[in-house]
Amino acid sequence: MRLYLAMTAWQSWAVLRRHLTVYLRNWHTAALPPIFEPIILLLVFGVGLGSNIPDFDWKSQNVSYLAYLAPGILAYTVFMTAFFQALFAAYIRMHYQKTWDGQLTTQVRLEHVVWGEALWSASLGLAYAVIVLFVLLGFNLGGWLDLHWTGVIATLPLLFLAGVAFAALGLLFTAIVPTIDHMNIPFYLVIMPLGFASNTYFPLESDALLAQAWLMINPLHHLAEGVRLLLLSGVWSFHLIMAVFLFLLMIAILLPVDLRLLRRRVLGEN
Amino acid sequence: MSRVIQNSPKPLLAAHGLVKHFGSARVVNGVDLQCRSGEILGMLGANGAGKTTTLRLCYGFLQPDEGRVFIDGVEREKDPDGVNRLIGVCTQDDTFDTDFTVRDNLLWFGHYFRPRPTDIESRVRELLERFDLARYATAKPDTLSGGYRRRLMIARALVHQPKVLFLDEPTTGLDPQARMAVWELVDGLRNEGLGIVLTTHYMDEAERLSDNLLILKEGQVVSVGAPRTVLGDLVGEHVVVLDAKIPEAEMIESWLDKEGFGEPTRILNTWQFALDGAGLARFSATFGQLRFEVRPPNLDDLFLQLTDDDS
Repeated sequence: MRLYLAMTAWQSWAVLRRHLTVYLRNWHTAALPPIFEPIILLLVFGVGLGSNIPDFDWKSQNVSYLAYLAPGILAYTVFMTAFFQALFAAYIRMHYQKTWDGQLTTQVRLEHVVWGEALWSASLGLAYAVIVLFVLLGFNLGGWLDLHWTGVIATLPLLFLAGVAFAALGLLFTAIVPTIDHMNIPFYLVIMPLGFASNTYFPLESDALLAQAWLMINPLHHLAEGVRLLLLSGVWSFHLIMAVFLFLLMIAILLPVDLRLLRRRVLGEN
Repeated sequence: MSRVIQNSPKPLLAAHGLVKHFGSARVVNGVDLQCRSGEILGMLGANGAGKTTTLRLCYGFLQPDEGRVFIDGVEREKDPDGVNRLIGVCTQDDTFDTDFTVRDNLLWFGHYFRPRPTDIESRVRELLERFDLARYATAKPDTLSGGYRRRLMIARALVHQPKVLFLDEPTTGLDPQARMAVWELVDGLRNEGLGIVLTTHYMDEAERLSDNLLILKEGQVVSVGAPRTVLGDLVGEHVVVLDAKIPEAEMIESWLDKEGFGEPTRILNTWQFALDGAGLARFSATFGQLRFEVRPPNLDDLFLQLTDDDS
């Protein structure tokens, strides 16, 4: 319980504020990927590749590939941004920069560092998602997309929650990879398959029991489908509830494991 | 080095019965220690003796399996935040924030304490001046020389005006001039009334700076007290130094063994061994014809003895 309460501690938010301060100093270069990546993806895949893909039937409505892709990019952005921050950036701060060691000589404890990293990763994921939303708005105004905007603001807390959960997953690997080179293993064996086999970039629909089970327990799938239904049809679906449940479950399970493993790695505790 | 503040009776740092295991190894085994205002406690021991682990237990980086730590009368376990507000820590490795400048490192460190340090801007200016860092205020810490990095580490540990300062090997890797500059700064902090706990591998540093020494071996305190007392307890009153190549070497070795003084330590072409007053008199009577030097023991002797015992 002490770990969960640490989320509200001033120390956790001081750690987040530190990361925000550093990020904002480099905003002019740091803001390029979240702005240009969705534009490029939407143009290349949505408009370019999509022009060769006929409109198809999705949940009883006819959609273009561009319209299908746009909400998927939103979910994928939160997922990758939060995960990457908690994996690579946090690892660099922990291992190379020794930022954590410095923080731990103050009133900040390891649970605050963990929460600070998770909250920061989620905040950045949310900020990038908002940028993607603005890009989608631009496509909407340009006539390429016709999205329902009612209720989109209400998904922002869900996107933040998703960011915390994916950051908790990232911190798990931060705690266990022996060196930075070993991050290729979780990235290519876990993250890339998870990212794509989730109805983000293409519909994964199969009657096979295994595929059904995978989609049922895959939180990114529920996030992508829930946001897609909201943006394309204005429908609040069961997927959003499942996403909330699975993200809360991930946080509840992963963060204590992260803390235990990081205690061993950072503090040398048993 | 002059002393201005007299030791106060109440310890600022008191640790009782500290025990810490890593796996099945008991790396700290029932350590008691204390440090008062205006006092430097030097913690010495061979590699693996438990110095850094003991220090980490005191400043809260690690949790003890047994034992209690009090800072200014406040128990760490009951009020970790309150205790951490009272201490400053300079770790063995540089842990400053490489994303910030020297000045911002000091400023930002203040964000990690509540109550917030008052008038942080002027406190940072004061520290930059005092530690001769003002000209590097806008530089990144990793561009500084080793000596100035250490200054920054110590300055950062003082941003929130702690009462107890932990220095883990603060001058390791520094050239003699930089070491002496750090000594001056540490001495000044002691004179202002800070309680300072210092670990070091440099015997001259421990001897010059420490008011009290705590000697650790295999996680246990083997001696504690003023440097001369500790040396007398652990090494002996006199150290005899002689040429190791003399023909009488074997005779001396068996004499030492018979008298119960143990084996001599060999350093290059010399032998040295510690004797008490009576032992020195008997040695002189037996080997009076030899050329040998007698000098008071120093911390190098102690360190060699500790490591010899280990080997």
